[in-house]
Amino acid sequence: MLSIVDLTVRYPTQTAPALESVCLRVEGGERVAVVGPSGGGKTTLFRAVNGSVTVQSGYVALEGEQVGRARGAQLRALRRRIAVIAQMHDLVDRLTVYQNVMAGALGRWSSLHALRFLVSPSKAELGEARSALERVGIPEKLRSRTSDLSGGQRQRVAIARALVQRPSVLLADEPVASLDPVRSEQILALLCGLARERGLALLCSLHQPDLAVRYFDRVVGLRHGRVVFDRPVAQVAPEQLVFAS
Amino acid sequence: MHALTLAWHTFLAFFPPDLSPSYLRYVWLPVLQTIGMASAGMLVALCLGIPLAAYVGTRAPGWQSVVGVLSALRAIPDLTLAILAVVIVGLGPAAGITALAVFYTAMVGKVFAELFLAAPQAPLESLRSTGAPRLAVAIFGLIPLTLADLLTFGSYAFECAMRASVIVGAVGAGGIGTELVGAVSGLDYPRATTLIVILALLVTFVDTLGWFMRKNPRLALVLFPAGLATMLLNPPQVFVLRHALVTFAAMFPPLLDARALAALPVLLWQTLEIAVGGTILALLLAIPLALCAARNVVHAVVVAAVRRVLDISRAVPEIVWGLIFVVTAGIGPLAGALALGIHSAGVLGKLFAEAFENVAAAPVRALEATGAKRLAIVAFGIVPLAIGPLAVHTMFRLEWNVRAATVVGMIGAGGIGEALYNAQQHMHYQSMTAYVVATWLLVVLADVAGERVRRRLGWNNETT
Repeated sequence: MLSIVDLTVRYPTQTAPALESVCLRVEGGERVAVVGPSGGGKTTLFRAVNGSVTVQSGYVALEGEQVGRARGAQLRALRRRIAVIAQMHDLVDRLTVYQNVMAGALGRWSSLHALRFLVSPSKAELGEARSALERVGIPEKLRSRTSDLSGGQRQRVAIARALVQRPSVLLADEPVASLDPVRSEQILALLCGLARERGLALLCSLHQPDLAVRYFDRVVGLRHGRVVFDRPVAQVAPEQLVFAS
Repeated sequence: MHALTLAWHTFLAFFPPDLSPSYLRYVWLPVLQTIGMASAGMLVALCLGIPLAAYVGTRAPGWQSVVGVLSALRAIPDLTLAILAVVIVGLGPAAGITALAVFYTAMVGKVFAELFLAAPQAPLESLRSTGAPRLAVAIFGLIPLTLADLLTFGSYAFECAMRASVIVGAVGAGGIGTELVGAVSGLDYPRATTLIVILALLVTFVDTLGWFMRKNPRLALVLFPAGLATMLLNPPQVFVLRHALVTFAAMFPPLLDARALAALPVLLWQTLEIAVGGTILALLLAIPLALCAARNVVHAVVVAAVRRVLDISRAVPEIVWGLIFVVTAGIGPLAGALALGIHSAGVLGKLFAEAFENVAAAPVRALEATGAKRLAIVAFGIVPLAIGPLAVHTMFRLEWNVRAATVVGMIGAGGIGEALYNAQQHMHYQSMTAYVVATWLLVVLADVAGERVRRRLGWNNETT
C-alpha cells in the first residue's frame, strides 16, 4: 500500500539531514506507531508522505504512484487518498462542525460545489457529515460552532474529517499529545478501530511507549532521522522504548 | 445606455493629460503652496498643541474641559473647517493654513495630552516634590519621558496634514486642490488629469517622507523654515480684524428657516446613504482584490500588480475621486458613494490582504492536505479565518466614511455637505453654521455608535 524507499530529506537551514535513508512499508489495515524523541524526524516523515516537503533522494509511493513527483492536480489526487490528523489546532474555528467535517470532501468536489455547499448544504451532504460524527461518537455536535468544542471533541472532528476524505492512508501526528490519559486511550482505540474496519494503513506518531505497545501492530523507532528499529509489537523489548518517552 | 456612453466620452476627455512646459511651469507654485500650507499649519499646531497638551498632562485646573474642547474640535471634518476659514480670512492659502492649524492643533493637543497622561507618574511625582512649578514639570518631566512617542506621532500627523492640505484646497483654500477644482469646473479635463497625477505623486512622496521621518524624526525640523516662509508670503487676504469679527458675528446664532429645517433630515439621511453605499461598494471590491493581493493565495506577480492598483485608488483622496465622478456619473449621491467606494476599496484592500496573509497556518495546511483546490481553501479556510479583522476594518471604515460623506457633498455629491457649501456660496452664514453643527453632531454620533459596537463585540484591543 504505502512504501517509503531510501528517503532522505534535508532542510536548507540545517546541516544534518532531517531524514536519512528511511525505508518503511505499511499495508492496508496495518497499524504502525512511530516513536522517538522530539526532533527525531517524525513530523518530517509525515510531511514527506503527504508531499509537502522537498525530498532529496528516495521516494514515497502510494500503490505504486510516487508522491514526490506529482504536481498540481495529480498531487491533489494523491493527497486526497492520504488523510492527515494533526494535534487539533487545524480546524477552522469560524466554521460550523459539519462544515469542518465536510472539508474532507474538498479534494473530490469542484470549486463551485464547495462554494454551493457553504451557502446551502444538501441533505445527502449533511447525512454524510452526521454519519462520520456518529462513528467518532459526537453526532449531537453537527451544527455547533467549532470554537465551542473541547480539545477531545476537536480531535474527534478532525478524525471525522479524515473519514469523509475516504482515504487509503491515515497519518496521525501526535494525535494525543495534548489530551489526558482517558481521552488519549479513547482516541487511539477509535483510530485503530477505524484502520481495521476500513482497511486503512495507519501511521501514528506517539510519545507514550506503553500506548504504542497496547494499540498497534508494529512499532518504528526514529532517531536523528534514521530508523533505529522496526518490528512487530510482540518482539519489542521494553528497554528499546524507554528513549521514546 | 445613453448615460453610460456619455460617461465614457467624458472619461475619455480626461486624456491625454496636459503636459505642456508652460503648464508644468505654472503648477509649481500651487504644489509649493500645498507643501507650505501643510508645514505652516503643522507649525502652528505644534506651537499651540504642545502647551495645551502639557496643561492637560500636568492635570492643571480644568484640564478635563480642555480635553473636551479638543475632542469636539477634532470631530469637525477638515473641509468643513476650511469653508469656515475661507469665510473668515478669505480665499487663498491663508485659509488653508488656518483650517489645518485648527484641525491639527486639536489632533496634536488631544493625542499628546493622552501620551502625557499615560506617562509614568513616579518621576513626575519626585519632580513635583521638589516644589517645581508646572512648567518645569512639563519641560523636565513630561516631554523627556514621552519624547519618542511624541516624535513618532508628530511625523505621522505631518504626513496626514500634507494629504489634508491638498483636500482643503478644494473649497478655495489655495494650493493644488483649488487648481484641480478650477480645472474640473472649467471643463479643462486634460489639466485635471495632470493635477491628479501630480497629486498622486505628491501623496506617494509624502508617504515615503513620513516613513523616513519616523526613522529619523529630526527631519521634522524642516517644518520651521518652510512653515514660516509660507505664512510670511501668504498673509490673510481680507484679514482686517474687524471684517473677520463682523463675519464671525454674522454666523451666530445658527439658524435655519422652516423649509431648510424640514429638509435637514433628508440631507442627513442622504449623507448616511453615501457613507453606507460607499462602504458596501468598497467591501464588494476589496474582498476579491485583497485575495488577489495576498501572497498566500495567488502568485507573487499578480500580487505586485494588484497592490499597485490598490495603491493608486488609495493615493487619490475621496474628494478628488468625487470630482471625477461628479463629472462622469453626474451630480448627486451616486457620485459621492462611488468616490468613497473607490478610495475605501484601496484602503480596505490593503488591510484585508494583510489579514488574509496573517491567518493561522495550521488549518490552511490541513485543508491543503485533503487535496482541496485553491478556491476551496480560500472559501473554507482563509476567508473564515480572517473574518474578525475584516469586520473590524470595515467598521472603522464606515465610521470614517460618515465623516468623508459630509465632505464629498461639498463638491456636488449631495447631502449635508452640499447644503453647507451652498449656504457659504450664498453667504447665508447663519444657516451655514447650523449645517456645521449638524455635521459635527452626525460625526460625533457615528464615532460614539462605532465605539459602542466595538466595545460590545470586544474589538477594542484590535487597532487598524
